[in-house]
Amino acid sequence: MQTPDFKGTHLFDRLCWAKENLDGVQSDYRVVYEDSVDECAKILVPDPNWMACALQGGILPPVWVYHELAKDEAQPDFKKHTRGYLLHETQPIEALDEKSAIEYLIMKDVPQSVWQTWDEGNRPKMVICKKEQLPQQRTWRNAWRISDELAA
Amino acid sequence: MAGTIIADTLEHSTAGSVTTDYVVNGSAKAWTNYNQSGNTVNGSFGISSVTDATGSTFTITYATAFDATGNMCPTSTGANSSTAASSQYCNSAVQSTTITHHTGYNAGNSQATTAFNYISIHGDLA
Repeated sequence: MQTPDFKGTHLFDRLCWAKENLDGVQSDYRVVYEDSVDECAKILVPDPNWMACALQGGILPPVWVYHELAKDEAQPDFKKHTRGYLLHETQPIEALDEKSAIEYLIMKDVPQSVWQTWDEGNRPKMVICKKEQLPQQRTWRNAWRISDELAA
Repeated sequence: MAGTIIADTLEHSTAGSVTTDYVVNGSAKAWTNYNQSGNTVNGSFGISSVTDATGSTFTITYATAFDATGNMCPTSTGANSSTAASSQYCNSAVQSTTITHHTGYNAGNSQATTAFNYISIHGDLA
């Protein structure tokens, strides 16, 4: 199905179109990351409808748009977004393959302090894996960490 | 966009009228049915990911952004069966204009992994 020309269309309306016209895509990929030494590993699960948008193309804004909004929100005097138009008026990105979509999602939803330095230090702070590579039971979930064996 | 109707007011023949502001502002902007036990998103709209953070907590990141944290209203509940109501429940908190934080509890008010977390959010989009 061809994506309509969505430049200038509110992102909410683009997501509504995708929900109505695209089948969700359940990704097998999971992103495991640690953003605090005091906390267990976190596991990011891609949303099926978002993944469908990423694979379709012409719907999602470039990831830098979210970074700009996050910068605004980090200002001490932030009250309210005034550059929301970036979400709606920036040319949507082209279709991505699944791996590129996961990379985009990491840059969007994982803390920058993790993905910008994921391979620095004695052990990786982030790993992309398949769902079946995770423990199948949630026993001791609060103690899950990225294995030291992954340190190359 | 094809099929667009532009209207500020909807008027019923006898029951009165309502402005479309009610529809635009009053609709849920995103929702999800998330299974933390299986770590799977069963159904959703308007989110980009769910992050399983601990045994009972998780965060939702939205595909769009809200205009301010004070203009976000997440609501949530939980169950451990898809067909029978249970005493599981789920709390919500706003973390930023793109992220909400949630914690599941069992009937004894202890934090617990919940199989069916039902979350929706109202508010003003950026």
